[in-house]
Formats: sequence, C-alpha cells, structure tokens
Amino acid sequence: MSRVNLVLLLALMASCFWLVQSSHESRRVFVALERAQKQERILHEERDRLQLDRRAQATPLRVEKLARDKLKMSAATPAVTYYISTADMPTVPHPDAGGGP
Amino acid sequence: MSRLADLLRRLRRRPSLPRRQSAAVMPTVRYATSPLLASRTPPWRVKFLLALLGLGFVALIGRAAWIQIIHNDFYLKQGANRYERRIELPGARGRIFDRHGELLATSIPAPSLWAIPKDFEATPAQFKALAGLLDMKPETLRKRLAASNNFVWLRRQVDEGVARQVAELKLKGVHDIKEAKRHYPEGESAAHIVGFTNVEDAGQEGIELAFQKQLVGRDGERHVIKDRLGRVVESVGDKIPATDGQDIHLSIDAKVQFYAYQRIRDAVREHKAKAGSVVVLDAKTGEVLALANVPSYSPSDRSKLTGAQLRNRALTDTFEPGSTIKPLIAAWALESGRVRPDTVIQTSGGRFLLDGKTISDTHRSDALTVEQVIQKSSNVGVVKLALQMQPREMWEMFSAVGLGQKPPLGFPGVVTGRLRPHKSWRRIEQATMSYGYGLSASLFQLAQVYTIFASDGEFIPMSLLKRDPHETAPVRSPAIRTTDASVVPPFSVVASPVRWGEDVEGAPQVRGARVISPRTAQQMRKMLSMATGDGGTGVRAQTMAYSVGGKSGTARKQEGKGYADSKYRAWFVGIATISDPRIVVAVMVDEPTGVYYGGAVAAPVFSQVVQQTLARLGVVPDLAVQPDIAAMHDVEESF
Repeated sequence: MSRVNLVLLLALMASCFWLVQSSHESRRVFVALERAQKQERILHEERDRLQLDRRAQATPLRVEKLARDKLKMSAATPAVTYYISTADMPTVPHPDAGGGP
Repeated sequence: MSRLADLLRRLRRRPSLPRRQSAAVMPTVRYATSPLLASRTPPWRVKFLLALLGLGFVALIGRAAWIQIIHNDFYLKQGANRYERRIELPGARGRIFDRHGELLATSIPAPSLWAIPKDFEATPAQFKALAGLLDMKPETLRKRLAASNNFVWLRRQVDEGVARQVAELKLKGVHDIKEAKRHYPEGESAAHIVGFTNVEDAGQEGIELAFQKQLVGRDGERHVIKDRLGRVVESVGDKIPATDGQDIHLSIDAKVQFYAYQRIRDAVREHKAKAGSVVVLDAKTGEVLALANVPSYSPSDRSKLTGAQLRNRALTDTFEPGSTIKPLIAAWALESGRVRPDTVIQTSGGRFLLDGKTISDTHRSDALTVEQVIQKSSNVGVVKLALQMQPREMWEMFSAVGLGQKPPLGFPGVVTGRLRPHKSWRRIEQATMSYGYGLSASLFQLAQVYTIFASDGEFIPMSLLKRDPHETAPVRSPAIRTTDASVVPPFSVVASPVRWGEDVEGAPQVRGARVISPRTAQQMRKMLSMATGDGGTGVRAQTMAYSVGGKSGTARKQEGKGYADSKYRAWFVGIATISDPRIVVAVMVDEPTGVYYGGAVAAPVFSQVVQQTLARLGVVPDLAVQPDIAAMHDVEESF
C-alpha cells in the first residue's frame, strides 16, 4: 500500500514540476509572440510610411518639374510620337530571340 | 484502584444525577461529585447555544457564497483592476487610391504630445530642448503650460522621431498618445476631390466626408496581464479585434487630374480670372477621370484656408449654360423627325421678334442649315427649332440628360441646378431656354449632358468610384494585414452595379437610358466637330492629332437681379475623339479679364487637356499628323 502511495506521490511531484515548467514555457512563448506581433505592426507602419514617401517623391508635379528643369525634357506630342499598332508586333524580334553577343 | 471503581459504580446508580454530568466526571476531578456543585443548567440552553453557533456558521457560509459565487462581479472587477491592463488596438482609417492604385490619402501614425503642467519638471536646458523639439519659442511653451493645471496639448501629431526625442528627455509630466495623421501626397491638384479630415480623423470635405462611414476604422481592445517588467504575459478574456476602415478606389486618374489642374491653373493665371474648373469624364464607363478647380488649397496646410479655395466649383456652382445647350435642341429636332441635318432654317438676318422681345445673333445670316445653326451658334436658328416643340418635350429632354437633377455621385455639396416645370414656361421663356438662359446647371452637369453624344445616345450614370466590368458585387480586396488575425480583411468600396455592354470594337461599355438614337448621336457629333472646325466658334479647341467636337459658351454673370456689365464666364464642353469618343471634357473660366469668349479662353484649355488625356489613355491619333521625327526609318545599328 505504501509503495503505491510513494509512486503516486512521485507522479504528483513530477506533474507539478511539469505544470510549472509548461506554464513558464507558455508565458515565454506568449511574450515572444507578443514581441513578434509588435514588430509586425511597426513594420507595417514603416511600410505605410515608405509607400507614402515613395508616392510623395513621384507625384506628377515633382516628376514634371524635375523632367523639365533638370533633365531638359519636354512633353511628348503626337508629332514626335511614332505609333505602332499591336498588329505589327509579331514581326518585331524579341530582344532575347535575336542574335547578338 | 478498586475504590475508584467502586465509587464510579455507585455514582452511576444514582438516578437523580443527569447523564451528562456523570459523563463529565473525570476520574481525577472530584468536585463534580459534590451535589452542591451539580449544574442546574436546563438542557434547552445548551441546544440553543449550539443552534446559535450553527446559525453563525450558516451565515458565514452564506456570505461567502454570496461574495464568491452569486454576487462576485464587484470583487472580480476589483481584482482585475489590480492585475489586468486594457490595451487598445487602433483600427486604421481606410486609404484612398486613384484608379491605378496610386495613393491619394493615407494615415500614418503620429503621436500627440501632452502634459500635466502641475507635474511638469524640467531644467532650463531641458526646457529649451523641449521647446526646440516642439518647434516653439520657450515663451510660447511657458504660456501654454500655464494655461491649465491638469492637461494641455503640447503639440498634436508630431513625427515619430520627434516624439522619441522628447521621450528621451525623460521629463516628468510629459506624455504622448498614439494618433494618426492623414497625408495627401497629391496635394492641391486633387484637394477638392479627396477632401480632408480634421485632427480627430473625421472627414470634413470631399470623399473623406462622403465616405466617412466606410473609411473610418473601428478600434478594438484586449485585456492582458503584464509582468513586473511591463511585458504582456497572458491575455485575459475575449479580444475585440480592430477593424481597419475600407479602402476607396476612385475613378480619378492622378495624372489626368494633375494635367487638368495644371492647365486650368495656368489659364486662370494667364487671363487673371477669378476661378476655373475642369471636368474629364470617361465616355465609355461613366467614370470621372478628373475634376479640378482653381483656386485650390493644400490639404496638409489649411491654416489660411478661405471659402473660395474650398469650393468645389465644378459641382457646386451653377450658371446658365448658354450655347452649350443648343446641341440638345438640335438633337431632339432630329430625333423627333422634324428636321434633317441639311434642312434649311430661315434666320432672317439674325434677328427674330418674339412676343415683343428681339432675339439676335452675333453673326448675321439669312438662312442656315441645322448643321450650320450649331456650327455658327445661331440663337435665332435654335429658337426656330425649339418653337416647333411642345414645352413638355423640351423639359423631358432636359430632364433625361440630368438637368435639374442632382448628379448621383454621393458627393457633399452637389447641386441640382434649376429647371422649372414646363407648365409654367411662357413662349419667350421656352425660346430663351433653347439657347441656355432661364435654366442653370453645374459644369459637371453640362459634361454629363454631352455623354449622350459621346455614347451613341445613352445617358450613362456617372461614378467617382472605379468601375470594373468584371465586378458585379463587392469583392474582398487583398487584405493589407493578412498575418495578423486581429485585422479583418476589409471589403473595398465599389461603385454601385451598372449594366455593362460592349462598344463597336467589343470593349466594355456602361449602358444607360437611351435618350437619342445612335444615328442622331452620330449626326450631332459631326455638327459638334464642325463647330470646332473652320468657320466654327471653337476653332481653338482643335488638337494636333485627335478629332474633337464641342461647343463654347460665354455669358455675362448674373449679379443680383440683372446681369453684370463686365463680368463674364467662359466655358467649353466637348468630346474627343469624334470617330470613337473616349472622353468628355468641360472647362469653365470665371471672370477672365481681357478676352472673355469661351472659344478664346476655355477652348485652348480643352484642347490641351484632351491632347494629354488621350495620350495618357493610349488612344492612337485619328487625324493625320505631320511627323516631327527626324528619321523614322533609320539604318539599324550594328551590334
């Protein structure tokens, strides 16, 4: 009888340790998850900010100004545009298909 | 020992002694045996005390049950208050995109700094540093802190970097709170469409106001347990996920919008005008490609905003449409079989007496065909066409093309214009209305009218939201934050469903209510193109490579009861291209100085906008262009 009790006691102790260990582990993992989610949120915000920055750098106003002032470009008019129709396309060799080094 | 046993035996034999007492007699205690000391306690008293004791226990158990099981909210709450922390999950406001997915408005986190002045402590050096970071004079900061004891905003919506630097100063009594700031990368060119929000993130103007309900995000919350270091170690209870606002995809093309804004801005400057507007509509899909007004404002800096800048004139200002309405009369005369394009109308030297009033033309002629009436913009000719009709017919025609009705854009401040019921029209009024006086419309409504010529006779419902021929019901847009389960993927807001058909070339086209037959629409397009051709009133609307057609209008501005002497309004409404109309463009310039004719002021803007918009849409020129390219077929470079 006492042997059975001893075994049960040992099992109980093991279970207790296991419980402590696993709850500690769960908290640790939870903290890691929290941190990862926070990181994710920060990265999302960063991405939003960068997208805005990119857009702000590429507004038509800025592009036009730079093109005109810095690159000395002018707006394309039909007079300086050579129109090709899609029907002509197959005859144009694909850059990869053509010869050359 | 035997004596003791003997005594006990004797005691038991005594019948007068209560049993209890006999039991209480311990072998060593003798006095109990004395009859003098025998207790006279009645048995009920013991029972009563026992019962009292029992009752006390029952009360205790009852109270414990009451506290712990039945009425435990209060203590649970108190307990939770001591270990739980509530974390707010902010739901972001939806973004606004143009038709190609370019950002027009987005929210970026921007902390707001606040202080509790009575807790505020800083060394002079820190104080100076704080003022510097807040971009304030130390004096101003001091004044601000003196304003209240418990709470003052130091600065709202600063950059994250600034907030971090302030936090690094570790000042007592200075705190920050997470807020979001709205950014508008397109700036003033799209200001009237997109609108803006106030500092509390509520829409105030434009799309921001019109779609406030869809755009606004809902904050969520969760309860957590934090450890000694402030780390979240466990979440408690259910989490209410944050819902981001829905993204809005407008029909606006940011580039077309910019061209349009730039052109009208330059024209207003050139003619020293008071204001101007441009509307560009897609004739096939009924989408608004651009809607620009001058003067405009920068949505991010609204400190010096005036009412004049805020006005979305293309939608909110009405005026008498003048000559631009004439094609409608001609179209109905053709449609009802009263005339053919080459029917000759007697214009009797450009003067016509009706009910004691004289209607006159600027260009005198005796006889004009219907085509020429439109080309030369003859008032007399149009009046003669209109007087063949019943007032009801004219009214129905006007109503069918949206005059006197609010354009169904769901946009704030859109006006209906004025169209009186036909029963109250006098004959002279019917006559003046045929050349655009006595009724009023916004520039947007005028542009809408011309869609019937562009779309082979159908009046297409307009939309500020992007339309997709493959989309009939709201479709789940790709979630922005797919990995975070707390954020529900938003539904994007889509335009109300419309009937789709195909145009001549099989491209998708929105169908609307038929107003005139395709044949009439074609004849009208020819007339409109004549009006911009040689001998027409809108020659300067021509473009280099695309065929155009349209009508100019000029009117004295109404002031009070009469017309102002030297204040004019000039406009032009037209379509391009004539062979296969893609766009309708309407231009209005308010109070130009010097030249003031629509054909001279507004038509050049029309021409430039059409040219650039069609090039942007990739439309191949339908007019022969004299190429300006030096060598078109040069020898292939060897490589």
